[in-house]
Amino acid sequence: MKTLHYFLAVAFLMISCQQNNNSKVKKDLPSNSIFQLSSEWQNQDGKTVHLKDLQGKTLVVVMIYTTCKTACPVLVSKMQLIESKISRQDIKDVSMVLVSIDPETDTPEFLKDFAIKNNMDAPQWVFLRSNEAATQEFANVLSMKYKKISPMDFSHSNIISIFNPQGQLIMQDEGLEIDVDKIVNTVHGVLKG
Amino acid sequence: MKKHLIILAGAAMLFGMTSCKQVSKSGAKSSSNNGTYSQSMPSVDMVAEGEPQEAEVTAAPNVPAPVGDRGPKKWIVNLETTETQAEIADGKMYTFWTFNHTVPGSFIRVRVGDEVTLNLKNAENSVLPHNIDLHAVTGPGGGAAVTTSAPGQTTSFTFKALNPGLYVYHCAAPPVPMHIGNGMYGLILVEPEGGLPKVDREYYVMQGDFYTKVSATNPNLLEFDNDKAVAEQPDYVLFNGKKGSLLGNNMIEANVGETVRIFVGNGGPNLTSSFHVIGEIFDNVYLEGGSTISHNIQTTMIPAGGAAIVEFKCEVPGEFVLVDHSLSRAFNKGAIGKLVVRGDKNHTVFQENK
Amino acid sequence: MKRTWISIVVIILVISLIACNKTQDDIMPVQEQNSPESIHSTQINTKMVYIPGGEYRPFYSADSNDVFVAPFLMDERPVTNQEFLEFVKANPQWRRSNVKRIYADSSYLKYWQGDLKLPQEALPDAPVTYIPWFAAKAFAESVGKRLPTLDEWEFLAMADQDTSNARTKKQYSDDIINLYLEKDRQYKAVKQSGPNYWGVYNMFDLIWEWTDDFNSVLIKSDSRVGEDDKGLFCAAGGATTAADILNYAAYMRFALRASIKANYNIANLGFRCAKDTIISPSQNQEL
Repeated sequence: MKTLHYFLAVAFLMISCQQNNNSKVKKDLPSNSIFQLSSEWQNQDGKTVHLKDLQGKTLVVVMIYTTCKTACPVLVSKMQLIESKISRQDIKDVSMVLVSIDPETDTPEFLKDFAIKNNMDAPQWVFLRSNEAATQEFANVLSMKYKKISPMDFSHSNIISIFNPQGQLIMQDEGLEIDVDKIVNTVHGVLKG
Repeated sequence: MKKHLIILAGAAMLFGMTSCKQVSKSGAKSSSNNGTYSQSMPSVDMVAEGEPQEAEVTAAPNVPAPVGDRGPKKWIVNLETTETQAEIADGKMYTFWTFNHTVPGSFIRVRVGDEVTLNLKNAENSVLPHNIDLHAVTGPGGGAAVTTSAPGQTTSFTFKALNPGLYVYHCAAPPVPMHIGNGMYGLILVEPEGGLPKVDREYYVMQGDFYTKVSATNPNLLEFDNDKAVAEQPDYVLFNGKKGSLLGNNMIEANVGETVRIFVGNGGPNLTSSFHVIGEIFDNVYLEGGSTISHNIQTTMIPAGGAAIVEFKCEVPGEFVLVDHSLSRAFNKGAIGKLVVRGDKNHTVFQENK
Repeated sequence: MKRTWISIVVIILVISLIACNKTQDDIMPVQEQNSPESIHSTQINTKMVYIPGGEYRPFYSADSNDVFVAPFLMDERPVTNQEFLEFVKANPQWRRSNVKRIYADSSYLKYWQGDLKLPQEALPDAPVTYIPWFAAKAFAESVGKRLPTLDEWEFLAMADQDTSNARTKKQYSDDIINLYLEKDRQYKAVKQSGPNYWGVYNMFDLIWEWTDDFNSVLIKSDSRVGEDDKGLFCAAGGATTAADILNYAAYMRFALRASIKANYNIANLGFRCAKDTIISPSQNQEL
């Protein structure tokens, strides 16, 4: 009797929560979600993706270009540091997203290469590139300033952004001395809900 | 027994704290006699207590209440940048740009260790973006790097007041000389631990140089003249943004026997002020608004983007004229104001012989 | 013992029911979204002017190199209230009540009296304002055009009434500042003032204008110079020629561009459209 009760309860819980999950997917996105953007992107595996495909995970996002010799290496190392400070249990619910502002150079192959070289090829690392228009739109969503100043060089602002699993901006930090611990704490805060 | 011990310990602690406070106070006092003041701990380590409260700010010539001996707290300062027409001199209107609708902008008063959240709203009907660079801030652009507000937008940042003193704040949006030339400046006072010594009267006076031409679209309106500004040839040099702002019914006041402290700033954008009060000698001048106190000063130099605190005791009645002692500015361009002191004559100090 | 178990189970059950119920309450009806992003074309034929382009020295740039501006077509005037109304009629996703917050803050089309009704007392042929960059882009797409680049806009802005490049004239910047300083000028109708050398109207006297790459104006965090590029703060650092140091009008434009974000809606910020072209100057007359 006892066992039956227990079993029933667990079964019911599972069913009801499953229902719940199903409905969540259909639920309307918040109006200020980045998943509202319909642009098409390619990841480091050459697969075509939409931002919506990142839904459901907490996102740590930075825009860089891989051939950058000055600011971007700092930003990339910040991203690595942030990633390393999130527990292996929690990292499953996080995507570390690097978006290229130089889609011409940063082809999927290039990005893949960069990911492997920098030891950023675990599943939580997502590299994205698109066309100029989508890149510009995404930059403007992040209030990111950038300018091509020579064929291989960009001026740009240095911003790391955190989005919740619904794609809403939670915080941004700007500058090369970005506070890694503050970002990690915020990510943990979002993960705990 | 145990209870008694606790009470004893508590009493001892209290006593210790009070005595410490006394020590620090007397320390400050004695050092101030030597011409400076000091504080008991680095202000960066001071803990600002409580929830942020909206700070009182005032338009010239008034200043908010002294901080007294309170500890560090958290404050919210709301400033709005506006572009507005007001009289500059002799019935002539000028397009001023302001912090909180006045020239100079609101006086902000905090103490070392205070944490200040500054919200800068740019009025919806502003034509231009504005920002704020507070010389009291330790950080990029004094805040300007993070406060540029487009028309209708609000920006915000929080800073800890580390250094005591009297500081200028101003708009640093390009072209900066134009924003300052149109009146976008004010003063922020960071009082030392324990507060400034008590005085009877405190006033806020800020000098600025104005470069004008008739508006292309409105013959009854004056506007900023870039050429005159570059040549550093102002039409007006004014206290508190208007000719006569401290004259007639607007004179600042004191009574015989009272001590007066004037927080004097100079917004510029270009001229250095030779601040003088005719018929008074400054007993104390906090040189350049900092911690060095000089005594018995006739005229104190206030650089553009700088300030000074002057203090004197009013011994005799009369009208005492505030001037920039570069006197053409006072007599021809408006840099003149008055302090009226009322009370009984003191023939020992001054009398006319007939 | 058994009792405890049962009660625990019951408690879990109740909690889960409540929790699940609550979530279900939150579930919104599924909306049929028939590619809501796609822009429907709007029939608006604003006259465009051929601008031959050429080498020009940007007022403010990290490099201070000359930049080549390719020939382009520019709307002869800013987009008006009436035209934007036509656009939102054809594109419901850009109506005030439908717009996505990711594209526009809450001031979008502020003072419109409804989704399809202009603000009270607004002139239909006054420039539309309280428009975010995203909406300006969408409008341009709907009329088969695009937003001008910053270089195109500034190339055109070098002209006064008489010459294509008036930057060395002393009066050039002063005249523009006179226009800039007038408040509430955005409520006037377009084309009430004279055209510039190219035949383009209202470059300075009504509104600030979005450009496609307005976000290329960096005042800090420049990757080459490190933190806090001082250019815009220190007058002499930003300008590239002696005459430009006095070009306060250009500083004002760049300060404005540096202060805005793409979802902002501002009282005196509107836009006009541009277009690529392959036609030559000789064909200009036929436009």
